[in-house]
Amino acid sequence: MTVVAVAVFVIAYVLIATERVHKLLAALGGAAVLLALGVTDSEHAFYSPDTGIDWDVIFLLFGMMVIVGVLRRTGVFEFIAIWAAKRAKGSPLRVMILLTLITAIASAFLDNVTTVLLIAPVTLLVCDRLGVDPVPFLIAEVMASNIGGAATLIGDPPNIIIASRSGLTFNDFLLHMAPLVVIELIVFCLVLPRLFKGSFAVDPARVEDVLRLNEREAIEDRSLLIKCGVVLAAVFVGFVGHAALHIEPSIVALLGAGLLVLISGMPTKNYMTSVEWQTLLFFAGLFVMVGALVKTGVIGDLADKVADVTEGHALAAVMLVLFVSAVLSGIVDNIPYVATMSPVVLELSRSIPDPGQADALWWALAIGADFGGNATAVGASANVVVIGLALRAGTPISFWAFTRKGIVITAITIVVAVPYLWLRYFVLS
Amino acid sequence: MAEEFPVVGIDSNALEAVKLLAAGHLPGLIVADQRGRPYAVLPASQVVRFLVPSYVQDDPSLARVIDESLADRVADKLSGATVRKMLPAELPELPVVNHDDTILEIAAIMARLRCPLVVVTKGSQILGAITASRLLELAVAPR
Repeated sequence: MTVVAVAVFVIAYVLIATERVHKLLAALGGAAVLLALGVTDSEHAFYSPDTGIDWDVIFLLFGMMVIVGVLRRTGVFEFIAIWAAKRAKGSPLRVMILLTLITAIASAFLDNVTTVLLIAPVTLLVCDRLGVDPVPFLIAEVMASNIGGAATLIGDPPNIIIASRSGLTFNDFLLHMAPLVVIELIVFCLVLPRLFKGSFAVDPARVEDVLRLNEREAIEDRSLLIKCGVVLAAVFVGFVGHAALHIEPSIVALLGAGLLVLISGMPTKNYMTSVEWQTLLFFAGLFVMVGALVKTGVIGDLADKVADVTEGHALAAVMLVLFVSAVLSGIVDNIPYVATMSPVVLELSRSIPDPGQADALWWALAIGADFGGNATAVGASANVVVIGLALRAGTPISFWAFTRKGIVITAITIVVAVPYLWLRYFVLS
Repeated sequence: MAEEFPVVGIDSNALEAVKLLAAGHLPGLIVADQRGRPYAVLPASQVVRFLVPSYVQDDPSLARVIDESLADRVADKLSGATVRKMLPAELPELPVVNHDDTILEIAAIMARLRCPLVVVTKGSQILGAITASRLLELAVAPR
């Protein structure tokens, strides 16, 4: 059974990574084979969070997708982005920095793909008005999105999986990941002028075109905006207090989504179109496949081998997880990677006596996976989405045009993370 | 049944083609290849789609933030462009019928391809076109 579980998993993973078939088909196909061959069963696949579908992750994503489905219709994001571009007074570098910061902050609370879907059209509009190439702006924003998403439990799907598997709370993510993300964003903004050298020349006559944009027109329904603001604030309070209130983040998101749907009075199809059913099913298939590896003991053996390699040395284990995650997340989508690695890290963390250093393993996984997503054009779903939008706008971004910048930013962000992890969890702990 | 209809070349000037479309209040244009054979039908709605920036199509709320003087420049996109550039990247099936096809055959093609006009040919020669309004006119005409 172990050999079958590994073989099915490897084949499905190769299909997902190479995109030979649709990733949903590969994940559900792999799960179906494992269930048909009896490697796992309904009890393990559907009712055990350790060896099957983690419903907390699925419903947290579902709830946030519904909330975003309503929120995106308020126009608030467009308002903020255009307001910021006008405050930059038409300077392309200042526009880039402000838009990347807005993207990063929004990504901490919204799904990265949603954030870039919201910011990309505004960016194309501003660049069109300024007469500058939008490609550097789009690349900078998607990278900021991957960095900013690392700050919170809900910012990036890998974090949701990590939180569910590790038991780390929303506040844990805020306390441990957000400070690093702030540092990374400062460094990122400092690097931008050099990374996109020569992209900031603008005809002064075009600046007026940006200043004439009327951001107030973006908001059509003020009452919906207020309702969204109130519910979002309540959801945020729910996330912050979920550990004390003994309410899982998934329940907070579902209640928030239900309340927002109720008070907004929006037709069902308007917000349900934001629910990415394929993504949710992809997660379900992945969980069943990874669960079969846990059930057959493969994950436990792998964790033992990692522990042997690092000889029980916590710092070595943390750095190993960080670097391997950064490299592999650039090659394959970081969601299946984290779904696979979470049980390994869980086993590994049990071998480390210091709880702070054991948690550092989880932070290393989150940092490596989230920041590693910037390395290549296919490292994160948001990258693929932005490349598609750029192509539609007639300004294609080639794989290498993205990856050349991505490798640099991934290297910088990981290098910054190393002293953070070392100082915070080993020197100062 | 077929009416005479303007035909533009695939590499002809986009602005001239759009002026022709607008002046005649036409539902679309027949586009011919270099040998004069039917290549595509360019519906007026596709021209509008070409003119509206992709970012406004992705986020219609952005149309409201652009003032009228900026919106007036939308047609600038046509300068220097050819008809080929206005066609969709993936060409839909060519709505073409034979000169002796029945009204029902023509209607079936028009309905299936959701096209406002079909090209009428005899061999490889373009005889003209039948528009949706012409088809309806024939369908409801007293017998």
